[in-house]
Amino acid sequence: MNTDDMTAFEDTLHAYGRRMAFKTKLDNVHQSLEADAFLPLAEQRQPMRALWNIHRSTLAIAAAVAIMTTFATIILYRSYQNSHKQDQQYGMMMRNIAVIQQTQNKLLNNISGRGRVFQQNPGQVAGSGFLLTSSGFLVTNNHIVQGSDSVYVQSQQGEVYKARIVHTDPQHDLAILAIGQDTAFHALPPVPYSFETLPSDLGERVFTLGYPREEIVYGEGYLSSGTGFRGDSAAYQVAISVNPGNSGGPLLNERGNVIGIITAKQTTSEGATFAVKTNVLLNALTAISPDSLKGDVLMLNRKNRMTRLSRKQQIKQMQAYVYQVKVFKH
Amino acid sequence: MSETTRLIWTDDDLLSGLAEGSGSALNQLYRQHYPMVSHLVVTNSGSAEDAKDIYQEALIVLYEKVSAGDFDLHCQLKTFVYAVARRLWLKQLTLRGRSPMLRAAPMDDEPADDVANDLAEHQRRENQFAQMAASLDQLGEPCRTLLDDFYIRRLSMQAITEKFGYTNADNAKTQKYKCLTRLKRIFFKDYQDDNDQ
Repeated sequence: MNTDDMTAFEDTLHAYGRRMAFKTKLDNVHQSLEADAFLPLAEQRQPMRALWNIHRSTLAIAAAVAIMTTFATIILYRSYQNSHKQDQQYGMMMRNIAVIQQTQNKLLNNISGRGRVFQQNPGQVAGSGFLLTSSGFLVTNNHIVQGSDSVYVQSQQGEVYKARIVHTDPQHDLAILAIGQDTAFHALPPVPYSFETLPSDLGERVFTLGYPREEIVYGEGYLSSGTGFRGDSAAYQVAISVNPGNSGGPLLNERGNVIGIITAKQTTSEGATFAVKTNVLLNALTAISPDSLKGDVLMLNRKNRMTRLSRKQQIKQMQAYVYQVKVFKH
Repeated sequence: MSETTRLIWTDDDLLSGLAEGSGSALNQLYRQHYPMVSHLVVTNSGSAEDAKDIYQEALIVLYEKVSAGDFDLHCQLKTFVYAVARRLWLKQLTLRGRSPMLRAAPMDDEPADDVANDLAEHQRRENQFAQMAASLDQLGEPCRTLLDDFYIRRLSMQAITEKFGYTNADNAKTQKYKCLTRLKRIFFKDYQDDNDQ
């Protein structure tokens, strides 16, 4: 057994010896062949290139995925942007009453019995509007009365009148209402303000009255641009702070001339409010068919009775002509 | 080079020449397949040095099979060398922690199972030889030189007797036997061979 083992081990050692000898031989052969230039010199590849060759398929897949992801993201982003552009940047200044009403309910002026309707059903949307004529024509924003079942206006004293939509101009977001048919409405003295047909200059001091809440609220600022949202030439840009509910309110200059109607503000930037220009309103008025007027004449006031008054007096004069518009929808 | 008298070497000629230890056959064989293996290794992120090592290892596999005498080639010699070299380089890449991907498909008539067996055998022998080298290193002088001379340099007993100054060949033989026993003890101290157990 011991000798068997020994022989096997000796064989291994022999084999090891042969291996070493063969290795030496191979080295000699290699050297001599190399010296005689019989072996092709291996073209030395760039390591980067070799790396590229190894990982080429992986890289191709990764690149394809990256490209697809990029384009998918861009497309998704674009479609999202398109569908949400208006909502995101252009916030219409109407007020959703259902939300606010709970806290405001008790503040409702309830002088006339008709106000009771608002306690049972406070309406869904509210904005502002102001009289064009003392005979009961109002202007407000189309987006407030859009899709409405019935429209009511409430004066600063709390009197509520049923309004009829006479005309709408969705393109410029204007709506003309009439409350002259309501038996409770009595003609007021002529409106104290007039309508400015000439374009106003930048820097013009302006002010507005509106109903961002149940009470009338005064705000002032200045005209900051002759065009509106995205270069809309039918509107002004105004630096004035407005809130939901201010929509449809009048925009007046220092002398008390109406130069525009507040419509919206840009939610992505601070202090950019937009107001539709007065001559757009005038154009809309001429487009009203005589049938919708039902025999009433819509004659705008040309005489301004507030030019020389102080701001406080101006507000006092005109606040009876600015109404809160409440809209019921289903 | 001058001894290259034959113009055409067949695979059989080369193999028998290799078994006999003919220098010209080895020379011819070495020249014949070196470019192929070199290309394989270098295009798959290896250096010229790697190519040389892989090629020589493949030739060792071939040589040891041939000298064992039980080698019958079922395919072209070229295919065999390529298959062995390809597997060796794959293993080497894996050992280096690189992704074992080769831009080189196996040849069509490759005897895959045979080559796998050959390589397993080769690996076993490789372990054995590594252990042997380590054991020889641990063996002190003069045993080391004595065994080297007898088994690797293949000196005769007579030459060894003279070189080491022993009184006679028997004396040298006894000395050699003692050395061999010691080497064997060192060798099996921490070597477990699966097949020879």
